[in-house]
Amino acid sequence: MTGAGDMADIRDTTLETPEAAGGPHADKTYSYFPGCSLTSSAAEYDVSFRLVVEKLGISLDEIEDWNCCGASPAPHHWGGNLGVLLPARNLHHASRDALVAPCVGCYNRLKNSQYEIASSEEIRAQAERLFGEPVRYETEVLNLVEFFARVTTPEKLAGMAQGRLAGLNLATYYGCLMTRPAKIMNFDNARDPVSMKPLLRATGADSGHFPFKSECCGSYMGLARKEIVLRASRRIIEVADDMGFDAIITACPLCHQNLDLRQGQINSTFGTSLEMPVLYFSQVLGLALGLDSDDLGIDTHMVSARRLLEKIRRGADATEEKARVS
Amino acid sequence: MAIRVSSTIADGAGVTAEIERRSGEHISSCYQCGRCTSTCTGTFAFDYPPHRIMRLLQLGQVEEVLNSRTAQLCFDCMTCSSRCPMNIDVAYVIEIAKMIADERGIEGGEKDVQLFRLAFLKNVRRHGRLHEARLMAWINFRSGKFFNDISLVPMTLRKKKVHIVPPRIKNRREIHRIFREVTAKQREE
Repeated sequence: MTGAGDMADIRDTTLETPEAAGGPHADKTYSYFPGCSLTSSAAEYDVSFRLVVEKLGISLDEIEDWNCCGASPAPHHWGGNLGVLLPARNLHHASRDALVAPCVGCYNRLKNSQYEIASSEEIRAQAERLFGEPVRYETEVLNLVEFFARVTTPEKLAGMAQGRLAGLNLATYYGCLMTRPAKIMNFDNARDPVSMKPLLRATGADSGHFPFKSECCGSYMGLARKEIVLRASRRIIEVADDMGFDAIITACPLCHQNLDLRQGQINSTFGTSLEMPVLYFSQVLGLALGLDSDDLGIDTHMVSARRLLEKIRRGADATEEKARVS
Repeated sequence: MAIRVSSTIADGAGVTAEIERRSGEHISSCYQCGRCTSTCTGTFAFDYPPHRIMRLLQLGQVEEVLNSRTAQLCFDCMTCSSRCPMNIDVAYVIEIAKMIADERGIEGGEKDVQLFRLAFLKNVRRHGRLHEARLMAWINFRSGKFFNDISLVPMTLRKKKVHIVPPRIKNRREIHRIFREVTAKQREE
C-alpha cells in the first residue's frame, strides 16, 4: 500500500492546469464500441466514460451501426465461428487506428476475434464473403484501463484530481475477461493484475491488495441459475467488506450486475447485511476530476454510495478549511 | 467417486481426439496435479471438477463429460487455464465439450442454462443488439419461473436501466447473413 506521503509528493510536483491532462497520445480520436449493456443496464458506465473522456479533451468516434459482440453464448455455438464473425463486423467498421471498448466482455470478444481472423485464412475468406470486401481487423483494441493509461498519465491525473479521493481505500476487481486467456489478451498479468492501481492512486485514494481481484463473479448464470451467482459473488463482496474497503471497482457490466444489482438478493438469501458500493472505473476517475456523482450515474446503483461520497465531501471541506486558515 | 471403465459411447476415444483437434490442446499431457480444481470458482456447482473432466477424457469416458453439469455450467473464467503447469487451456477443452454436447442435443440436466444461451443468440439475430428486458421475460416464460427476479423490476425501471423498445441496428441483413453462414457451415460438417 502507498501511504498518503507518496501521493503528496506526486501532487506537489505536478500542479498543472486541467488543460494539460493529455498523455503522449492525447491528441488522437479513438473509435468507440459501447456494446449492448452500456446502452441499457449499464447506461451509467457509458455516461461516466464519455464525461471523463470529454474532461480529458479526447474525442470518440462511435462505430457506425455497431452490433452485439455475441458475448459468452456466441463462441459456444454453431462451431464457434459466430463468436468470431459478430465482433469482426465491428472491427471492420471501425475507422480509427485504435478502438476503445469499456465493457470487458466486448473487449475480450473483439480481441479474440482479431486473433482468430489473423490466424485463419478460412475465417478471413468467410468474412470477405460476408462483408463483400477483405475484412479490416487491424485496429488496436483497448480496454478502459489501457485507454486511460494511454491518454493521460498518473502525474497529470494527480494534478487534476488534487487529492480529492484521499482517505478512500478502493478494492480493484479485474474479474476474468480483461486478462484471460493471457496469450490472446496480452494485457497485464492474468494471475495478479495491477494495471488499475497507478491511475487510482493518482486520485489520492489508496488501493490495497485485494486477493479476490481475479475471482469469477459467476458470469452469465444469473438468469438461469441465480443461486450459483449469489454464492460466487457473495465471497467477493464479503472479502472486500472484511478488509475494510470503501468500494469495489470494476470495468465489467456483468460483474457489476452480479455484485451490485444482486447484492440485495445475496443479503436476503444468506442473511448477510452487506452494503458494499460497486463503482465503475470511469466513475471513480470522474469523482476524482470533480464531476458530480449524479451526473456520473452513481445514484443509479442499487447499493448506495452515500457513505463513500460523504467521505469525499468531508475531505474536500477539510482541505477548504485548511486553505482558509492559512 | 469411481470412474467406470466401460463406456456406452462407442467412439469415446474418437470424441476425445475430436476435442483435441478442435481445441488444439493436448489432453494426454495432463498429469492430474489438480491445480485447475484447486483454483476453480465453480466446483461447488459442478458434478466433476476440472481435473476429473480431463481424466475422463483421457480414458475416453466421453459420455460422462458430455452429460456433465460441468460442461453446461463452467463459467469460462479461465482461471484453471491460467494456472495449469502444462499450459493446457482446460477451460477451452470444457468449452469444446459444451459445444459438442449442444450439437448433439445433450442438455446435461441444465436445460435453463442452455435455453439462456439460445435465447440470447435468437435475440441478437433478430435485432443485431441484445434487448435485455425481452431476454429476461423470455427466459422466465420458457423456464416456467415466471417470478424469477421480479423483485428487481421496479428498481431497474425507476433507475432507467431497461429499454422497453428493442434497440435495432440498421443493417440487420448483414447480421442475418452471418448467422446463416455459420449455421450452414455447421450443417455441412
